[in-house]
Amino acid sequence: MLFNSLTFVAFFAIVLAAHNAPLPWRAKKFNLLLASYVFYGAWSPPFVLLLLLSTVVDWFAARAIHRARTDAGRLAFLIISLVVNLGVLGYFKYGTFLLENFTALMASVGVAYAAPEWSIVLPVGISFYTFQTMAYSLDVYLRRAAPTKSLLDFALFVTFFPQLVAGPIVRPSQLIPQFANPVRATGRQLAWGLGLMTIGLFEKVVLADSFLAPAVDAAFDARAPIAALDAWTGVLAFSGQIFFDFSGYSTTAIGAALCLGFALPENFRFPYAAIGFSDFWRRWHISLSTWLRDYLYIPLGGNKMGRGRTYINLMITMLLGGLWHGASWTFVVWGGLHGLYLGLERFLRESIPPQKWFASLWFKIAMALVTYFAVNITWVFFRAQSFTDAAAYLSSMFALADDPKKVLYLNEIVPAAIVIASMVAAHWGMRSTSMETVIARTPPLLIGAVWTLMLFMLVITQGSDSAFIYFQF
Amino acid sequence: MSQRTYFDPERVDRPVPDKPWIALALTALLTTAALTAGWEAYWRSKSFDPGDINNSSALWAQERRKAKGDATVLIGSSRIMFGVDLDVWRRVTGVQPIQLALEGTSPRAFLKDLAADEEFRGLVIVGVTAPLFFTQEGGRRQEVLTYTRDQSPSQKVDHHLSMVLEDVFAFLDEQTRPKRQIEIAMLPLRDGMPPRSDPRKLSVSTRDRNTEMWRRVVEDEAYQIEAKEQWELLLKRLAPPPGPDGRPQEMPDEAISATIAAVKADVDRIRARGGDVAFVRFPYGGVFTPAEDFGFPRERFWDPLVAQTQSAGVSWHDYPALQAYELPEWSHLDPRDAETYTEDLAPILMAEIEAARARRNSPPVGE
Repeated sequence: MLFNSLTFVAFFAIVLAAHNAPLPWRAKKFNLLLASYVFYGAWSPPFVLLLLLSTVVDWFAARAIHRARTDAGRLAFLIISLVVNLGVLGYFKYGTFLLENFTALMASVGVAYAAPEWSIVLPVGISFYTFQTMAYSLDVYLRRAAPTKSLLDFALFVTFFPQLVAGPIVRPSQLIPQFANPVRATGRQLAWGLGLMTIGLFEKVVLADSFLAPAVDAAFDARAPIAALDAWTGVLAFSGQIFFDFSGYSTTAIGAALCLGFALPENFRFPYAAIGFSDFWRRWHISLSTWLRDYLYIPLGGNKMGRGRTYINLMITMLLGGLWHGASWTFVVWGGLHGLYLGLERFLRESIPPQKWFASLWFKIAMALVTYFAVNITWVFFRAQSFTDAAAYLSSMFALADDPKKVLYLNEIVPAAIVIASMVAAHWGMRSTSMETVIARTPPLLIGAVWTLMLFMLVITQGSDSAFIYFQF
Repeated sequence: MSQRTYFDPERVDRPVPDKPWIALALTALLTTAALTAGWEAYWRSKSFDPGDINNSSALWAQERRKAKGDATVLIGSSRIMFGVDLDVWRRVTGVQPIQLALEGTSPRAFLKDLAADEEFRGLVIVGVTAPLFFTQEGGRRQEVLTYTRDQSPSQKVDHHLSMVLEDVFAFLDEQTRPKRQIEIAMLPLRDGMPPRSDPRKLSVSTRDRNTEMWRRVVEDEAYQIEAKEQWELLLKRLAPPPGPDGRPQEMPDEAISATIAAVKADVDRIRARGGDVAFVRFPYGGVFTPAEDFGFPRERFWDPLVAQTQSAGVSWHDYPALQAYELPEWSHLDPRDAETYTEDLAPILMAEIEAARARRNSPPVGE
């Protein structure tokens, strides 16, 4: 079920009431588990079986890893967990992609291979919960944590509905301990949680869907040479749309969890104020970038195995990070470009000795703009449907296209420009702080006015029923 | 990657800024409620009424699921939506029809969908707006078919909750959303860009998709003019590109024949299960007259369609009772006219269906 739907409003009211009813803690946890299955099954009931499979496999695998007396035994049970998790992910998410590429490979060597019909519906959020459960088995294998003793707590960790389908990807050590003892939100937590949900839904429904999506769709769907202004408006609008869409989901999830008394980690920190690409990845989709760091980059050797290997590890991590987003070579290139940027940045840091003017404001602003510019180039590959489309779009951006057409009306350009300029300014202004700190300094009257405005805009925008972009990943 | 992080994998802390949150939440709720009341009053003053159900994909899916057995189903474009009053049809024929027509959309994809549905063996009445019918299989809102197939349980629940609220609040209309208001705002045009063609709100619907012209179109002359201007822009945009001689290119006979053959195949499938299919044309005027009469002359399009599918076909041109109507914006009947039009059309069409059935069942003279 979508956060931006009437069904969720009714569902969440029932869940809140049940969670605050005078029931034993175990019954409340069971209610939350049931609610999470209902939340997920509301898309497609049969896919709840995948959640159950993921839960059961990692529950038993982690216990077996913990009990195994030999390294080989530990490894064997880890492999079982990885094969099942990655197998399910591969089948549902990458099956078509692998088959298409195999067919193309065969054709390139002169073998006419006719692939069988393959029509698989992608279970929503499968990449998120697969990574979350894999982290549990990996933590036990790497001896970072012991397996939990409660199957109920573990099942709730896998399925906890606020962050189930689009993150933040929570670590076992962050969430499972919160289920151990009874928690209930205080009045202040409940109200602030509702405030966070308002902010998140406002980002998604009003900013992403209403003000930015029209410019993005008109520019990218033109599939023809377009004017440079239109192309830049489209990609800048997409940078805002993807941010507000995804950050909106995370913020809503954090708020929903807080209303129930649970804490979820931050997933975004004003990413478009990043100075450099390592800074960008400390601010964008933090729970994924740290997951990739802890379970892929560091196990590959990180930066401990020499300069050359560090660059290779970076590139492998980012390529797989790209592939995590979608079964398409355009996502791989998106990740590859980020890997290239990170490698280049590392090389420059190692090659150029620190200068005094590196700390000056103008240098920081210039580097932030360079970072934002380069990130926007990668968004073209993220949004385009194919390399042909991406190449055509890039040529439009740099005024290299023949006979470019204007496709955006001022009705799309003006709202997009206002939102994007405001977003970049807000990110820059808040780059070294947090939303909580800023709000703590803001007069209550202003907070009330902004909250009312956002809530009113949500009501008159009528929710809209468009899915979050990251659900497809 | 640097080890400096905002993310502690071991624990998570969620501080609550020190503010009077409960008072703030209540204030925000109450103020929003007051603003919403004002917003509601504003849109009611603009002729928006509660009970006008959004013509959404979910509403269509709800009606599509009723189209089983020997149901009578209407498919087509907006003219059959505005032109047939479902309640009057039931009163005249004794059968409650199901309205599955969609604005700006060709019914061919929907005929194919019904033909493929083994559970359907009823009567399909196809509204034919030639420029849509013969140029595309579905078009504008064809995606309702996949939506219906893939509709999730939560989308179904959402639809029912939404209808409850739409019965109470007039502002719950797609047209009032800020996104839509921005879309239709009259901003200056960039050099070289054509004016936007974007038809305005023309209709209101009930829970069973019984659709009629919005009262503002009937009552507000300025709005009528705006609606007509949008039709002119749309026709300009959809006009076929000129051929080498500078005149609009005609659709080749082969393309027309292929379309009719595909339609006939679907008609035959429905008839093989005991169902039937009939075709209807609704009146048009103003700029639509030259566009449709010269762009899609009946002797090349309508007549072969009816003849080759061996179907009943009722065109408003052929019946004086169906001609005496003024169309406020050149393309659709107003609500009062739709009632009398339905009263006139239903018996004519049912008689034609019987006659066509008799013709199909009796061997040609000389055999």
